[in-house]
Amino acid sequence: MICIVALIIFSVLGIFSATHRQMAKEALDCVFRRVTLRPCNTGFKEKIKSQMVAKLLNRSAFLARAFNRYYEVFAWIFFVLMIVSTFYVVKGGYNYYLYGSCNGLNQSGFCAFDPKGENNKVTEINASCGIEEKSEKNVSLDGVDLSSFPTKQVDSKDTVVLVGCYECDYTRKAYPDIQKLVREKKTNYIFAHYPAKENTNFLSEIGYCVYKEYGDRFWSFNDYLFTVDKVEIYQSEYINTILKNFDFDISKINDCVNDSATKEAVTNQVNQLRKTHLYGTPTVFINGKAFVGPKPYRVYKSVLNKFIIF
Amino acid sequence: MDMKKIQHDFPILSKEIKGKKIVYFDNACMSLKPRQVIEAMDEYYYEYPACAGRSHHKLGEIVTQKVKEARISIARFINANENEIIFTRNTTEGINLLANSFDFKAGDIVLATDKEHNSNLVPWQALVKKKGIKHQIIRSKEDGTFDLDSYNENINGVKLVAMVLTSNLDGTTIPAKEIIRTAHEHGALVFLDAAQGVAHQKVDVKDLDVDFLAFSGHKMLGPTGTGVFYAKHDLLETLESFMVGGNTVEYSTYTDYKMLKAPEKFEAGLQDYAGIIGLGEAVKYLEAVGFDSIKKQEYELNKYITDEISRWQKIKIIGPGDPALRSGIISFYIDGVDMHQFALMLDEMSNVMIRSGQHCVHSWFNDKKIYNSARVSLYFYNTLEEAKIFIEGINKIMKII
Repeated sequence: MICIVALIIFSVLGIFSATHRQMAKEALDCVFRRVTLRPCNTGFKEKIKSQMVAKLLNRSAFLARAFNRYYEVFAWIFFVLMIVSTFYVVKGGYNYYLYGSCNGLNQSGFCAFDPKGENNKVTEINASCGIEEKSEKNVSLDGVDLSSFPTKQVDSKDTVVLVGCYECDYTRKAYPDIQKLVREKKTNYIFAHYPAKENTNFLSEIGYCVYKEYGDRFWSFNDYLFTVDKVEIYQSEYINTILKNFDFDISKINDCVNDSATKEAVTNQVNQLRKTHLYGTPTVFINGKAFVGPKPYRVYKSVLNKFIIF
Repeated sequence: MDMKKIQHDFPILSKEIKGKKIVYFDNACMSLKPRQVIEAMDEYYYEYPACAGRSHHKLGEIVTQKVKEARISIARFINANENEIIFTRNTTEGINLLANSFDFKAGDIVLATDKEHNSNLVPWQALVKKKGIKHQIIRSKEDGTFDLDSYNENINGVKLVAMVLTSNLDGTTIPAKEIIRTAHEHGALVFLDAAQGVAHQKVDVKDLDVDFLAFSGHKMLGPTGTGVFYAKHDLLETLESFMVGGNTVEYSTYTDYKMLKAPEKFEAGLQDYAGIIGLGEAVKYLEAVGFDSIKKQEYELNKYITDEISRWQKIKIIGPGDPALRSGIISFYIDGVDMHQFALMLDEMSNVMIRSGQHCVHSWFNDKKIYNSARVSLYFYNTLEEAKIFIEGINKIMKII
C-alpha cells in the first residue's frame, strides 16, 4: 500500500524536486510490479519504511517502535486517507471547474485553486434590504416578475439574468463575461439593476427611463456605465453629460424620472428582485440557476454547453 | 598513526550530509580515496594526458615512465617482479583471465572455500559447464574458520586451489602459507583472491609462494576500474592470452601475428593510465601508513564494536567471535529482521554507511538459509568516535525491534 501512497505523494512533490522525481520512479516501479502480480523486491518499501522509522527514532523511541511494529496498519491508514483525500481533491477540482469554487456552487469556504475566494466575493446588500438568510439555496427566480427590466429577446431557449449594480466592483468584474456569454451563446438576456449600496438608486430610474424611451439603445448606455470610472457615476450631475453624449433627450429622461409612475415602477422592480432572496451582487441566473459572485467565464459557459466543456 | 592528518587526507571525511559528518563503514566494498591519489590522477589529465608505450613524444614518454613507476611500486608492494604484474580492471577480471587462460581439461579439479565471492565462484562454475572441470568446496568449521583437516583430505588430485585470502563476508583469513605448501606438495597450483587481503595485511607473494593472485585497486585507496593480476613469471608465459589486440603483439601481417611477452601480452588495448598511476600512489600511501598500524586500528575498532553489539543477544555475528580473526569486518544479522532496513535506518539517522545484503556471497547465505546480513567493514581512517556513533545508532534501533 505504501508504494501507491508514495507514488502519488512523490509524483506531486516531483513536480518541484528532482530527488522526489526519482523516488516517484522507484514507487512506480514498485506499483507496476505489484499490478503485474510480481513481488516488489526493489527495496523501495524498505527504504521508505527505514527513512520514516529513523526520523521518528530521532524524536521518540515509542513512536518509532509503534510505527515499525504496525507499519502495515499505518500503510493501510495512509492509503485510505489518501483515497479519501484524493476523492475530495478531485471533487474540489470538479467543483472549481464547474462552479469556480472547490466547495460547490456559491460556497465560500477555502479553495486552494482560488485561495482569496475571488470567485465568490459579492457586494453585500444592506441589512435594510431585509434579506432573511445568506444562502444560495434561497436565491431563486420563482415567482419573480422580470417583465419590466431591460430585456434582449432572441428566441433562445436559454436565458441569462444579470442582477448587479453599476458601482459594485464584483458586478463590474463579471459584466464583460456575461456580455460575452450572451453574445457567443446567443441567449435571451435580462439586466436588472440592484443598487446594493443605495448610492446609485437614481441610476435605476434613469436606466428604466432610457430603456422605456429608447429601447435597444439602452444597452450601449448600460455598457458604458459598467466601464466608466466609478467616481463619475456616483455623482448624478455627470449623468446628464453622459446622457447627452449618447444623444438622449435630457429633458425627456428627466421628465420620465420625475414621473411618479416611474418611481412606482422602479420600486416595484426592487421589490421583485428582493423576492429572489439575493444577498449580494452580482447574482447571475442562467436558466434559473443562481451564481452568486463573479465566476470565471467557463463556469457560466459550462451551464450552456452541451457537454460541460464544449 | 596521526589520525588527524590521515582524516585530513581523505576529503570526503570532512564533508557533511544534512549537517552531520559521514561515518563510512563500507570499506570492504569500496575504500575512500586520499587526496594524494586524486591529485596523481588529476595530474595525468592536466599535465600529460597521452598514451604510454606507443607514443615517443615528450608527453608519451612521461606517461610511459609514470606507468612503469606504478608497476614497480605495485610489484614491490606484494614483493613481486615488475614483469609479473598485469593491470586489469578489477579482481574479477583477473580471475576471469586465469580461468580463461589456464589450460584446463575435463575432470580437472578446482578447490575453493565455502565463502567465495561470486567473482571467484561463477568463473569456475562456468568452466564446469564449458570444459567439464570439477569445482569442489571446502566447508568452513562451525566458527567460520578454515578447516585445514578437510582441506588436507581433499587436496589430492586437485589442479588448482582457488581461494579467497580474506573473506569479504566475515573477515576471516585462510592460512594461506600452509594451504599453498600443501597444494604444491600435491602438485596443485594456488590462486588467491586477495581483494580484501592486500588492503589490510602485508601480502608477500614470494614468502607465500603463491602462484596466482588478483586484487582490486578500489578497495585499497585506489581508483575504481583498476586491478592487478599476479602470476609467477614462468607460469605467466604458459598462460594463453585471454584478450588480444592492440598492445599485445610485437607485429602482425595480414595472416599472422607475434605476441609480446608477459605482461604486455595480457594487457590488450589502451590502459587506464590515470587509474594505474593513481593505484601506484595508493600503494605508496598504504606503505607509508604501514600495515602494523592499519591492523592495530582495525582490531581496536573491531573489538570495541564486537563487544558493544554482543550485548544484544538478538544480534548474531557471522564468523568467529574473536575480532582478531575477522580483520576489519563485523557481519551480523538478526533473525526475522531485514538488514537492508537496519542499514538504511543507520544511514538515515546518523549518516552511518554500512553494507547490507548477501555481499556477493549468495551461495553461503543460500546454504545457511539466512536472508541477509549487515556488514561493518573498517579501515585505518575510521575512528573510535565514529564507532561510538554507530553503536549509538545500533542501540536506538535495537530498542524498537
